Amino acid sequence: MSDQARVKRIWQQDDRTLAINWTDGRKSLYDVVELRRQCRCANCVDEMTRKRTLNPDEIPESVRPVKVESVGRYALTIHFTDGHRTGIYPFERLREIG
Amino acid sequence: MSFLKRIQEKFSGSQEPRPASPTPAPSAPSPTPASATTRAPGAHAHVPPKSGALDQVKHLIAVGSGKGGVGKSTVALNLALALAQEGHKVGIVDADVHGPSLQQMTRAARPTMTDDDLLVPSEYEGVKVMSIGMFAAPGQAQLMRGPMVTQVIRQFLTQVVWGELDYLVIDLPPGTGDIHLTLAQMVPLSGAVLVTTPQEVSLIDVRKAVHMFQTVNVPVLGIVENMSYFICDGCDKKHYIFRSGGGKKLAAEADVPLLAELPLDPRVADSGDAGVAFVVSNPSSAVGQAYLEMAKQVKNQHAKLQRDSDGAMGYFLLEWKRNV
Repeated sequence: MSDQARVKRIWQQDDRTLAINWTDGRKSLYDVVELRRQCRCANCVDEMTRKRTLNPDEIPESVRPVKVESVGRYALTIHFTDGHRTGIYPFERLREIG
Repeated sequence: MSFLKRIQEKFSGSQEPRPASPTPAPSAPSPTPASATTRAPGAHAHVPPKSGALDQVKHLIAVGSGKGGVGKSTVALNLALALAQEGHKVGIVDADVHGPSLQQMTRAARPTMTDDDLLVPSEYEGVKVMSIGMFAAPGQAQLMRGPMVTQVIRQFLTQVVWGELDYLVIDLPPGTGDIHLTLAQMVPLSGAVLVTTPQEVSLIDVRKAVHMFQTVNVPVLGIVENMSYFICDGCDKKHYIFRSGGGKKLAAEADVPLLAELPLDPRVADSGDAGVAFVVSNPSSAVGQAYLEMAKQVKNQHAKLQRDSDGAMGYFLLEWKRNV
């Protein structure tokens, strides 16, 4: 079975760092600007070819979340200050990159 | 104006089903916390403040199957009533917008509406019921594309006065589509019960449903094998009409319990068509007992998963602060 660890605690570590304590005891830190650049939603990655249509260089260093919210039991979503809010970050993926 | 209100107005004055039993007044939604870290650890089935109607619903249990026609609605309704018979506060929502069955199976009346456009569900044997079938005229199809269907599901969960419930049972449509994903993203489902019939043609679809729930991290509480066998009234022999052992095999593959093997009993269909749930009309029959046992197992399995959840958060919302 795939990695089923879930969020035990989530908080803002500093101005641009999101912190998560996982149920298996691991702690992960994420640069929120990098999360925005890595977005895999259908607006940022072509659904058929999986090719990235978002140019990471176009995302300014100043972008920040407005809020971070859970999606069901398996993911979180981030509303960003640039208006982008369609990205879903599955916990399984966050565990791989964090 | 809400979509369901439009439907309601469109059909007001057409056939009136059985009158509803008295419904409680809407209760005020509980206040929502401001920060993710203020949520109590160990919380399992907290639901988003944006779905305020679910604030007082403790557990959401989906009853599904990849396959159509295996008895999902029958299992869902009887599970809901069996949980109610155990003394729990229970509701059931029909998420099968294109093929709703629960109105026929309960004859529940069309919901009333509060002044602020919230729907007050009808009750059947003390269980709150909500189905699109309550709004449509008989024989009328719901010709809706995905986004409209999603809107209906959203309203069923967020704009209904569910009040305080121990369990809200969700009767899913067949397949692994739009409605399933909407539900999986919108609310932290506590678990799923999957219904199959014994033959391989059914199992291949239910396997996909197992995979879907694993992908969205919703625990499968167990497998229910329906139409397992038929006991002939002349010879008392078990006839395995759709082969045997399929449910057991699938449960072993998915490493989840087999919750029940329910025999084919023509009285089950009679009950459903007549608008009387089988656990109500025939509680002491073999099938009735199997349903009551299944409800106990679902509860136990769910409680076990909750103990093993290691303090995982259900719903969370973190507001980001600038210039920290």
